[in-house]
Amino acid sequence: MPIVLVGVNHKSAPIAVRERLAFSEDACAASLRELVDGELIREGLIVSTCNRVEVLTETTSGRFDDSAERVIQFLTRSDVPRNFFEANLYKHVDDGAVRHLFRVASSLDSLVVGEPQVLGQVRKAYSIALDAGTAGRVLNRLVHHAFRVAKRVRTETGIGANAVSISYMAVELGKKIFNSLKGQTALLIGAGEMAELSARHLINAGVSRVMVANRTDASARQLAESFGGEAVSFERLADYLAEADVVICSTGADEYVVTEQMAREALQRRRNRPSFLIDISVPRNVDPAIGKMPNMFVFDIDDLESVVSSNIREREREAERAELIVESEIMQFQQSLRALDAGPAIGSFRQTLQDIAKLEFNRRRAQLGPLTSEQEQAIEALLLATVNKISHPVLGQLRHSYDPSDADRIEAWRELFGLED
Amino acid sequence: MRSLLLAVLAAYVVAAIHAVLAFINKRRALLRVSEYAMAIGFVLHTSALIADWALYGHYPLFHLRETLSFLAWTLVASYALILYRYQARALGSVTLPLVSILIFVAIVTRAEPSEEAASMSTTWLFPVHTTLLLFAYAAFFVVFLASIMYLLQERELKLKKFSGIYHRLPSLTTVNEIATSSAAIGVTLLTVGIATGMLWSSARNGRVWQNDPKEIFAALTWSLYIVLILYRSSARWRGRRAAWMGVAGFALVLCTFFGARLMGGYHVFG
Repeated sequence: MPIVLVGVNHKSAPIAVRERLAFSEDACAASLRELVDGELIREGLIVSTCNRVEVLTETTSGRFDDSAERVIQFLTRSDVPRNFFEANLYKHVDDGAVRHLFRVASSLDSLVVGEPQVLGQVRKAYSIALDAGTAGRVLNRLVHHAFRVAKRVRTETGIGANAVSISYMAVELGKKIFNSLKGQTALLIGAGEMAELSARHLINAGVSRVMVANRTDASARQLAESFGGEAVSFERLADYLAEADVVICSTGADEYVVTEQMAREALQRRRNRPSFLIDISVPRNVDPAIGKMPNMFVFDIDDLESVVSSNIREREREAERAELIVESEIMQFQQSLRALDAGPAIGSFRQTLQDIAKLEFNRRRAQLGPLTSEQEQAIEALLLATVNKISHPVLGQLRHSYDPSDADRIEAWRELFGLED
Repeated sequence: MRSLLLAVLAAYVVAAIHAVLAFINKRRALLRVSEYAMAIGFVLHTSALIADWALYGHYPLFHLRETLSFLAWTLVASYALILYRYQARALGSVTLPLVSILIFVAIVTRAEPSEEAASMSTTWLFPVHTTLLLFAYAAFFVVFLASIMYLLQERELKLKKFSGIYHRLPSLTTVNEIATSSAAIGVTLLTVGIATGMLWSSARNGRVWQNDPKEIFAALTWSLYIVLILYRSSARWRGRRAAWMGVAGFALVLCTFFGARLMGGYHVFG
């Protein structure tokens, strides 16, 4: 039951190749049914996202090349010639394929290490394969194990801990300063795209009130409406500044929109409650001198970028610990696969018992005297039924022992009955 | 009672090691071990204190050995409260090792049996006086720790350079709240503690104020924390300045606790 994975990702192939190989969600199920022929390929799963196209299969052939070849043919379509993508392909078998899937699910293979979206995409791919009926007992086991690994990596390492996008930094800084953003007030100055993105993150994190101020009131109203905020007057900025716990500033102005004097007044009216200002405009709109005032935290675009890149480095350090988790889980998965191997064991076990019954019958046949063929058949049926009834509970347990810890038990039974491997 | 205290030490050391490892590795599973070990240690510790009381016939807070053990006990109790209220587990990685050290020193310090201890315990005022003050010290230690955590993070936020510590500490608001409420509790305990001390002293020899180093330091400590509380409540000194006061206040607490012992005076017993 080799597991074979063939695919391309953002490291191995340029977008021009990935987009041609990609499967749309609708086409995925039909393609899977085409791929899984029941002979060479027994089970299949396609993970197709903007960063990767991967085909995961469980095959009957012991020869890895045959199965890989079959998948390559499958990927080759009339408009996508083979030589167009073959150089970009990677092929993994067994432990290698398992490792790759575990790493993908744990977002160790992602463009930005630790970003959790890929797990949802694997989940989606799995549910498509389930619906198409191409995920069987090996892939079921493998994918569920991958989910488990992803969860372990997430809880046991800090891989997803620190924000790696500038728009998300507002949320992370907010949590560091206020513990929770629930019930806090945000003020957007300027109606830029980045401000909007940050605002959406803030709302998701629980900010209860968002004010939007812009030089042109119309665009402020428009932006405010788009996420249930309120447009406020740009002229009275100083007043709203005092109400805001989080300020995100991104106007095109070429002077300071938030001056030191305004911040000082705001701080006084806030009775020194802390607030932080994110200034993503170039040239800067928030007077950097405000950052020196107590309880005021100012981050300009350079600050954010340096924090983001240090967070990425931190994630990469955590990724090294995650790789160790993946390695140990590969071993556990292999053990659980051996338990799945109970199928053949069950067959040979029953065969051995039935052979014993037949052998004994033949040995005693002479002593039974003349029998009609019906009688002979009845005796044989009786013997086989007895053997089957007696062995039934044992076989039932064997069949259901998918638990890796049962692998030893199956091994013990096989030895007990002198079964060959 | 030495063996019981050794068991207490073992439990606290286990709790401390797990708390520190959890702090470094951000592992939740380790925290659970740490908290169970701490709970076991606390129960054993409480029984050790009660057993001491029954065995020696005086309230177990008189000799240096007893004081250290009792101080450790108040620290664990305070940390448990913080855990319950704020889930600020980072404090454990400092508090629990400190508690372990205090218990260790308590174990290796010789017991000095004395008649004085029993005579001091005849009135209820004296045990109340000492107990309240030790709890006040524990509260001020919490203020100190929370203030340090505030200052470390505030510094990194201002410099925009985040170290590993930054990601492991509770938020600014949380440590600020911990410091504010602990300071309020500490000052209340200190006030009542000093008052009972005065009452006891006046009942003993008619003098309310002995003018010894410990009392002077205690008065200074009290004034500083009163100022801190007043400023905090008027919100003029939120954040960094208040945190610096929390640190400075604890220096005075240390002087009150240890300094007075070195300088001698009325408050040196045993």
